[in-house]
Amino acid sequence: MSSHDGPTQLLRPSPENGPRKPRSSVAFSFGSPADDSGIGRLDLNDILIRHAQATFVMRVSGAAMREAGIDDGDLVLVDRAIAAAHHHVVIAIADEGFVCRRLVRRAHQMRLCAADPAVADIVVTDSAALQVWGVVTHAIKSLPI
Amino acid sequence: MLALVDVNNMYVSCERVFRPALVGCPVVVLSHNDGVCVARSNEAKDLGVGMAQPWFQVRHLQRSAGLVALSANFELYGDMSNRMMTLAAAYAPRQEIYSIDECFLDFAGVRGDLTRIGRALRAQVLQWTGLPTSVGLASTRTLAKLANHVAKTADRKPGSYPSALAQVCNFDRLSAAQLEAVMAATEVGAVWGIGRKTSAKLLDRGIRTVLDVLRADAVALRRPFSVMLERTRRELRGEPCLGLDELPESNQQIMCSRTFGEPVTSLAVLTESVSQFAARVAEKLRAQRSVAGALQVFLSTSPFRTQDRQHSPSATLRLVPASADTRRLAAAAARTLEAMFRPGHRYVKAGVVLVDLQPQGRAAGLPDLFGDDTAQPVPRRDGARLMGTMDALNQRFGRGAVDLASAARPPRRAAAPPASIGRQQMRSPRYTTRLDEVITVRC
Repeated sequence: MSSHDGPTQLLRPSPENGPRKPRSSVAFSFGSPADDSGIGRLDLNDILIRHAQATFVMRVSGAAMREAGIDDGDLVLVDRAIAAAHHHVVIAIADEGFVCRRLVRRAHQMRLCAADPAVADIVVTDSAALQVWGVVTHAIKSLPI
Repeated sequence: MLALVDVNNMYVSCERVFRPALVGCPVVVLSHNDGVCVARSNEAKDLGVGMAQPWFQVRHLQRSAGLVALSANFELYGDMSNRMMTLAAAYAPRQEIYSIDECFLDFAGVRGDLTRIGRALRAQVLQWTGLPTSVGLASTRTLAKLANHVAKTADRKPGSYPSALAQVCNFDRLSAAQLEAVMAATEVGAVWGIGRKTSAKLLDRGIRTVLDVLRADAVALRRPFSVMLERTRRELRGEPCLGLDELPESNQQIMCSRTFGEPVTSLAVLTESVSQFAARVAEKLRAQRSVAGALQVFLSTSPFRTQDRQHSPSATLRLVPASADTRRLAAAAARTLEAMFRPGHRYVKAGVVLVDLQPQGRAAGLPDLFGDDTAQPVPRRDGARLMGTMDALNQRFGRGAVDLASAARPPRRAAAPPASIGRQQMRSPRYTTRLDEVITVRC
C-alpha cells in the first residue's frame, strides 16, 4: 500500500469512502514507501496491488477477452475497492458464476462486452441487476520458457 | 467510546463472497468432521437450525428446504478475517481483536460523529471484502456488544427495533427514552455473560429484560448471583469494569493477541511472543476440555505509520489430528510465523487463534482416514499428562513458570508440512490462499 493511499485517511470520514481517482501513470501511482526504509528491492505487491485487503486473484478460462490482452489461462488481479466505471474490465456475476467483460455504458444502458465481436454482449437494462464483483487491474500471463 | 465490529454469520458470509448464488439460500457450515453446524445463514436460522446442532438432525432439510451444507474452510475464513481486521484497524487509535470475526475499536480521543465513522467502516469492509458487518457503539464492552446485537437484529428482523438502529447502532446517540425502549425490548439472554442458567434464575425473580436488570435492586441481585452479574450490571449502566481478558470466552475459538509497546522487527522476538500466545490459548483450550483442528497466526504493521512498509499477513494451519498440546500448537505457530515473516517490516501486533474446536474425547487419536493429502500425521505420544502438569505448575507459580523452550528461542525447521484435515467432503476451494484453487472466471 502506498503512503498516499493508506486507509488512515479514512479517520477523516468522507461520505465517499470509495477508491480515489485512478492516477495517470505507473511511475506516479506507486510511490514506494520503501524509499525511506532502506529496502530497495522492488516488490510486486507494491507495484501490482493498490488495495491489499480488496485484491483477489482469479484464473481466466476462455478466449473472449484475448483482444483486450486477457487470454485463456492468465491470472487476473481483481480489485473490489475500485468503483466500476465505463470501459473498465470487470468481473461480473452472471448465471451463478463469474464472467470477465468490459463494462460499456451507452445512453441508459450498460453492456458487458467481450473483446471478441463474435461473442454477444450481455445487455443490462436495469442497473440494479448488474452485479459487478470487482475491477480487473492487471493480467498476468506466463510465457513459454 | 468503544465499537464492537463483527461480521454477520462470518463463515457463511465468507462462502457467499465467492459463491454469490448462495445469497438468499439457507446455508450451514459444518465442522468436527462435518458433524456439527457451526455457522448458519439467517435463512438456515429461520428453518430452525440451532447453533452447534448435529448435522444428522437437520440433514433432511437439504431435500425439503434446499439447505446447503459446506465443510468449514478455515484457511479462507482466516484470510478474510485478516482483510476485515486490517481495514477496521485504521479507524481507531486502538484495536483489540476479540475473535476471528469480532474486534473492539477504542475511539478514546477521537472527535467527530462516531455513527458516521461506523457507517463508513461498514461500507468500506462491505465493498472491499464483500463481508457484511454490524457495528455497535457504546461506552463499555458489554454495552457495545449489546448495541451490536441491536444493530444486527434490527437489520435481520424489521420491527424488532427502530430501523434507524440497523447495521450501525450507537447507544450514545439515543435519548434516555429511546435507550430505555431498547433495553425493554431486549431479553437478558442477549447480554454478554448472561447464560441460559442465569437467565432462567433471573426470570424466576421476574427479571426478563435488560431494563429489568438495570432497575433491579443491586443488593437483591448480588446474593443469589455471582459477582460477574453485578459487574455485567455495572457495565450495562455505562461503568466500564471488564477488561478484554475478562470477557466471556467464545466456545468456537480461542484467541490471544497483543499490540507491542515498540515495533518489532526480529523474527526471534516474534517467535517468542507467538509461542507464548500459543501456550496461553492451549491452556485455555485444555481448561474447556477441547482440542483445536486449526490454528491461525496473524501479524500486523501499523496503518498509522504511513512511512512504514505495510505487511499484515495471516495464515491458517490445519492440525491433524486435532490437538491441545502446547508443544504442537507452539511449533505450528512458530512454523507459520516463520513462513510469513518478512524482514525489514516493523510489526506492532501479533496473535494466535485456535479454531475448529472439538470436544477432547471424540477427536483424540482419530486417525486421518479421509485425508486428501498423502502426508500422514506422525503419531505422537499423548501429552495430556505433561500438559496437565504444566497447567498445574503455571497456576500455582504464575504464568510462564513452566514454559516451552520455543517460547524463548525460535525452533529450527519443525516437523512435517501441514497435513490435510479429516473429512471435509463439502469444503469449498481455498480461493485466497492456494493458487490452484482460485476462482475460475469465464471469458
